[in-house]
Amino acid sequence: MARSQPFNARQPRARYSLRDTLLSYGFLAPALILLTLFTFYPLAYGSYLGFTEYGGARFAQGLAPKWIGLENFRTLAADPLFLTALGNSVKYLVIVPVLQLASLSVAVLVNKNLPGMAFFRAAYYIPVVTSISLAAVMWDWVYNKEGTLNWALGVLHLIPEGSFFGWLNNEQTAFWAVMLVTFWRGFGYYMVLYLAGLQSIPAELEEAAVLDGANSWKRFWSITVPLMKPTILLCSLLSTIAALRVLEEVLVLTNGGPLNSTYTALMYVYSKAFQGFNFDYGLASAAGLVVAVVALLLSVVNFRLFHESDGGEA
Amino acid sequence: MKQFRKTALLALTLGLGLTAVSAPAAAQAPTEITFWTWYLSPKFDPYIKQTIAAFEKANPTIKVKWFDKQDSMVQDFIASVNLGSAPDVVNLNIDETGKAAQNGFLRNVDALTPLATLKSTFYPQTLANFTVGGKVYGYPWYGSLNEGVLLYNPELMTKAGVKAPKNMTELLNMVKTVKDKTGAYAWVPALKDPGGASFLGYFSSDGLPIYDAKGNAAFNSPAHVAILQKYVDLFKGGYFPEDALRKEAFQLATELYAQNRVAMIVGGPQALNRIKDTNPGLYAKTVVTTAPLGKANTQTGTSMGMVIPQASKHPAEAAKLAAFFTNNANQIAFAKIVPIIPTTAAAQNDPFFKVSSNDPIAKATALVGASGRFINPGFKAPGNSDDLYKNFSDNIEAALLGKKTPKAALDDSVKFWNANMKK
Repeated sequence: MARSQPFNARQPRARYSLRDTLLSYGFLAPALILLTLFTFYPLAYGSYLGFTEYGGARFAQGLAPKWIGLENFRTLAADPLFLTALGNSVKYLVIVPVLQLASLSVAVLVNKNLPGMAFFRAAYYIPVVTSISLAAVMWDWVYNKEGTLNWALGVLHLIPEGSFFGWLNNEQTAFWAVMLVTFWRGFGYYMVLYLAGLQSIPAELEEAAVLDGANSWKRFWSITVPLMKPTILLCSLLSTIAALRVLEEVLVLTNGGPLNSTYTALMYVYSKAFQGFNFDYGLASAAGLVVAVVALLLSVVNFRLFHESDGGEA
Repeated sequence: MKQFRKTALLALTLGLGLTAVSAPAAAQAPTEITFWTWYLSPKFDPYIKQTIAAFEKANPTIKVKWFDKQDSMVQDFIASVNLGSAPDVVNLNIDETGKAAQNGFLRNVDALTPLATLKSTFYPQTLANFTVGGKVYGYPWYGSLNEGVLLYNPELMTKAGVKAPKNMTELLNMVKTVKDKTGAYAWVPALKDPGGASFLGYFSSDGLPIYDAKGNAAFNSPAHVAILQKYVDLFKGGYFPEDALRKEAFQLATELYAQNRVAMIVGGPQALNRIKDTNPGLYAKTVVTTAPLGKANTQTGTSMGMVIPQASKHPAEAAKLAAFFTNNANQIAFAKIVPIIPTTAAAQNDPFFKVSSNDPIAKATALVGASGRFINPGFKAPGNSDDLYKNFSDNIEAALLGKKTPKAALDDSVKFWNANMKK
C-alpha cells in the first residue's frame, strides 16, 4: 500500500536564493504581523500579568502592574471555588472521545453518495451556527421540569410523572445536561472536518481493497483510520482545548449552578476579569495560565498517543 | 532691512487677521461628549434622541454622541478607560456605581454640580444611594421599587379562596393554600441572585440588620435563620418553582403569570408591560393593589444613575448633560412612556401621578409613580461585593437544596464576609 512520506523524514536540503527567501518572508509577513499583534503579544502579556497584581483601583489610577511572583497562584491553590472549577473543566474532557467517535462515525455515514445526503450534512451543521441564546431557550424547553425530556421519559415509563425534575436544577444531572448541549453544538463542526478528511482519501485505495475482497469493516480499520490520523489528531486537540474552555453554554444555561456543579475554570477567569468592578486581571490571568498549561499537557498526551499508535509517525 | 520689516509686518498682520477670523470659528466648534445608556435601545430611542436634541439646542456648544450598551456595559467601560477613550456620561445602577466609585473610576459629582442644587433636586435617600464615602458619585435617574405593587390573577385567587395579602407574613402563609388548591404557584420570590444577594432584601424588609454597629456582617441571628428556614421549607415542599434557583425571579414570574401558573407578582409596574404583550386577556383581568410589605413596613428599591468617569475629558459638559437628563421635567416625560419612578423630589406633586384609572399599568403607575422617596436598597453593598454576594448566594442555594441547614449557611456566609469584606 502506498504511504505518504512522514513529515519528520530527513529531506535533502533545498537551496534558495536570497530573492526567494525575501519573497517567502514577504508573503508570510502580513500573517506574522497579525499573529504577533493578536496572538503572541496577548499570550506573552497575559502570562506576565499572571505574576502581577493588576486590576481594581490600581488599574483605575493608571498604575502599572506590580510584580508579585507566585502570589496569584497561591491564591488560586487556596480558593476552593477555583479548585472546583478546574476539577469540573477536567471532568468535562469526558466529552472528547465521545464527540470524536460520534462525529467520525456520522461523517463516514454521510460520506456516501446517496440521495438526500447533502441535506443531512447541512442539518448536522445547523447547531454550529445557531446562536447560543437561541440554543439556551430551546434546551431550556427540553430540560425543564415540564419539558420535552421528562415528557418523553414519562411516555416511555422510564420516570414516573411524580418524579419529574428540572435537569438543569439538579446537582447530579446539570453537568451532563450542559455537556450534551456542548456535544450538540460541536458535533457538526467535527463532522465537517472528518468529512473533508474522508474525501481526501484516494478512491483507488478503497477500490483496490474491494478487489482484494476486504469487507467494509476491514476497509475502515485498514484504510480510513490510518489515513485519517492527522485529522483525528487535529479534531482531538481542538475538542480537548474547547472542552477546557467551555463557557457560553454554562453561562446561559446554569450560570455555574446548582451548587457550582457546572462552574468551569473559564467561568472563574471570566468572573474575575470581567464581572463587576472588582476585576482582578492578575488573578484571572494566572487562572488562565493554569488552564493553558493543562491544555498544553493534554496536547502533548494527544500527540504522544497518536504518535505511538502510528509506530512513531503522526 | 526695510523690506524685511515690511514683510514681517505684513506677515504679522495677516497672521493676526487669520487668527481673528478663525478664533470665533474655533470657539464655536462644539465639544463632543460620549453618553452611554444601559439596555434602553431600541425601545426608548425616540425619548433618548428627543432629550439629547433638546439638550443640544439648549447647549449649542455641546454635541452628544449616544451609545446604548447592553450585556457588556461594564467590560466596555473598563476597556474604554484602559484605551483612553472613556465615555463622559455613563448610566449605572446603585450597586455598580458603588463598586466603580470604590475602585476610583468615578468623579464625585458634588464637585461638578453644587451639593445644594443636588439636594434641592432629588429626594435625600435617592441621593444617599449614590453617596460613597461621603461623596456623591451619581445623578439619580429612574427608579423602581422591589415591593412596588401587588398584581394578581383574580380567578386563581378566588379559586384558592384567598384575598390579596396585606403584608409578607400573610403572603407567605397563603403560599401553600394557593398551590394546593389551584396548582399554580402563589408567588415567585427572588431566592438567589449571585450579582445582588437579593435574599438580604427579605431580611432588610423585616427590619433585620445586615451589619452590626462595627460594620461587620451580622445576618445570622435566630431571627434571620427563621426567615430563611421558612423559605427553605416552602421550596422543599415544591411551593416555589425549581427554576427560581436558576432564573431571575422577575423574568420567571412574568413568564409563569402569563401562563396562569402564578397567582401574584410583587414588584414594579413594568411586569405589566410584558403581560400586556404576552397575554392581553389576562392583563385586562389583572388587579393591581398596594404591595405587601415586611415587618419594617418599608418599601425597598433601586435606581439607575448617571455617573461621570474619572477619565472623562469633558467633565463640566458631562455634568450638564447628566443633570439635564435627570431633571424633574425629563424624568416625568420618561415616566409617561414607561412606568418608572422618578427620583426627583418635585415628582411627588406632579398631576400625572394623581390620575385615577382602571387600566392596570395606569393604576400601578399612580400607586407607585410618586414613591421615589422609598427608593432604598435597604443596605449598603459591601466592599468586594462580587465575591461576597457569590458566597452568600452559594450558601443560600446550599440551604435550599438541603446541603446545609439555614443556620450553617448563614453562619458560613457571615464568616466569609467578615474575612473578606473590604471596609
